[in-house]
Amino acid sequence: MNEIRIVRIHNELLGTYGDQGNAEVLAFRAKFHGITTTITDVGYNDSLPTNGDIYLLGGAEDAAQLLSLEALQRGDNLEILHFAIERGAVILAVCAGFQIIGNKFWANGKEVDGLGLLDVASIPGEKRLVGDVKTISTVLGLELTGFENHMGHTILGPTAQAFGKVVTGNGNGDGKFDGAVSGNIFGTYMHGPILARNPELADLLLTRATGRKYAQITDPLALKYATWRRKVIK
Amino acid sequence: MRLKLSILIAKLAGTLSKRVLRKSGETIPGRVLLALYPHAISILSQNRKIICVSGTNGKTSTTKAIVEIISKLGSVTTSPSGSNLDRGVAAALMKKSEYAVLEVDELHLPRIISEAKPAVVLLLNLTRDQLHRMHEVKRVADKWATASKSAPETMFIGDVDDPFVALALDSANQSLRVSFGGRKHLDGAVCPSCGVYLKWSRNDYKCTCGLTNSNPNELFEAGTAAYRNAVLANVVGKSLGGKAIAIDEQALERSVDKDYKGVKAKLRLTKNPASWSEALNSVSGNDVLLIVTSREVDGIDTSWLWDISFTQLSGKRVIVCGERALDIAYRLHVEGIEVELTSNFNEAISKFAKGSHVHVLAAYTAFHELVTA
Repeated sequence: MNEIRIVRIHNELLGTYGDQGNAEVLAFRAKFHGITTTITDVGYNDSLPTNGDIYLLGGAEDAAQLLSLEALQRGDNLEILHFAIERGAVILAVCAGFQIIGNKFWANGKEVDGLGLLDVASIPGEKRLVGDVKTISTVLGLELTGFENHMGHTILGPTAQAFGKVVTGNGNGDGKFDGAVSGNIFGTYMHGPILARNPELADLLLTRATGRKYAQITDPLALKYATWRRKVIK
Repeated sequence: MRLKLSILIAKLAGTLSKRVLRKSGETIPGRVLLALYPHAISILSQNRKIICVSGTNGKTSTTKAIVEIISKLGSVTTSPSGSNLDRGVAAALMKKSEYAVLEVDELHLPRIISEAKPAVVLLLNLTRDQLHRMHEVKRVADKWATASKSAPETMFIGDVDDPFVALALDSANQSLRVSFGGRKHLDGAVCPSCGVYLKWSRNDYKCTCGLTNSNPNELFEAGTAAYRNAVLANVVGKSLGGKAIAIDEQALERSVDKDYKGVKAKLRLTKNPASWSEALNSVSGNDVLLIVTSREVDGIDTSWLWDISFTQLSGKRVIVCGERALDIAYRLHVEGIEVELTSNFNEAISKFAKGSHVHVLAAYTAFHELVTA
């Protein structure tokens, strides 16, 4: 594979917390591996591209989250996502996006059915969870850092495993775990953007998307930034 | 009687804090007054005309411009610079005057409206800012709309090119809708009134529920944020019988010129994607210093740096400092712009040659420290 197609889903709706940067970091890291990338922005009225390698969703407020869900349930979009998962494409969904790809979530005071791509369900908590988060990723065996700002409590079903074990912050609401993983589908509450704060995760997503193992990247600034955040978040 | 005594004690506390603790003493009197007399704001607002100014960006400079206009009509008191929470409002109102022009924080505005019963409220704009405190823009907009609905005696003036401002104006009994011919809004994809996908055609929006920036009461040419704020200040002045002042964009963009051992610095406040974009458009020359801090007033989350395009800085010499210097350094790195990392302002500014003109874009804490130093 010589080109990776990154699909940024509904950034106009799911772009409240800077998560659009995840696409830029992926493209930037890919360059080090000699892979070219394209970033396709999908708008509310657009159909999803059928040939994406990495699909990204970000955080949003309730009304925007519901519009995004409605658009993803429209036409062939959900089928396109199911097909993408079957052929091994990667999905990274943050915060509101994480809730959307789950089975159920609450928005504007009502429970709605999500896309059902990840075996999780979210309910509203009593207070807003805001602040730095540090976890130990179950997939990478590495510390991950980010910033959370949400009210969701997310409960994992039997076919999803937690994405990270919480060291600092709340994650899925219980202060024990953050996010969920199933195959190449990743969900998390971490903004930052998460791939800017944790470049190793960006590399993992590229590896998963292409099925290739890449040589380690030397980018001292990326490492310095990631290491510093891991150190200062106690 | 108790109120007078409370004011006396509050003033004394302010003086003590200035003389003894050598603090600025700006918020102390207001804090003490509200602690001793919680209803002080509503009582002190009686028998005078109150004008409130709120919005994400431009509050301080627009408030100053309105003070200039109103001071020709009668005696004016105003908020201590940048002190826009309830205590700043209380401190301002301790002085007797015919008019009070108050800068009010977005989240504190509803309380101030219900207590001070202002004659005029000017709503400048509402964009993403300090997400850890404000959370989503829509949440603040809903509070504004509820507040404007419950203040039938107040005239709400605002820039309806911002859909969140339009929502508050639509909810008000009396409003004056100003437009600058429309412009894009970073958070404008969803109608804040009814929640559907907001229909934009170029720079104008029109929702099926009726929310729109068309049919303004007053239409002006498009321009910079500083220009728009000057126009809005004049519209507020006119509504109270004041005479318009000339538009000084430099004064309104809140930039300050300083000299650091021969290095000429133009300091500018940049605190969120909207103000960064405005400031980046004004950067000329080759030398740029960026300062990113993340105290409570700056916003403790820096994710929003990824919502800004820094391409205007490409090819320039960029030096960064501040406690979140690494955040912006890495953000620019990914955009293909390499910067020099420094550990503090003195080190950063000393890297520029004598006689050079440096654009300093600084977060709130850093900007405030440099301006008052």
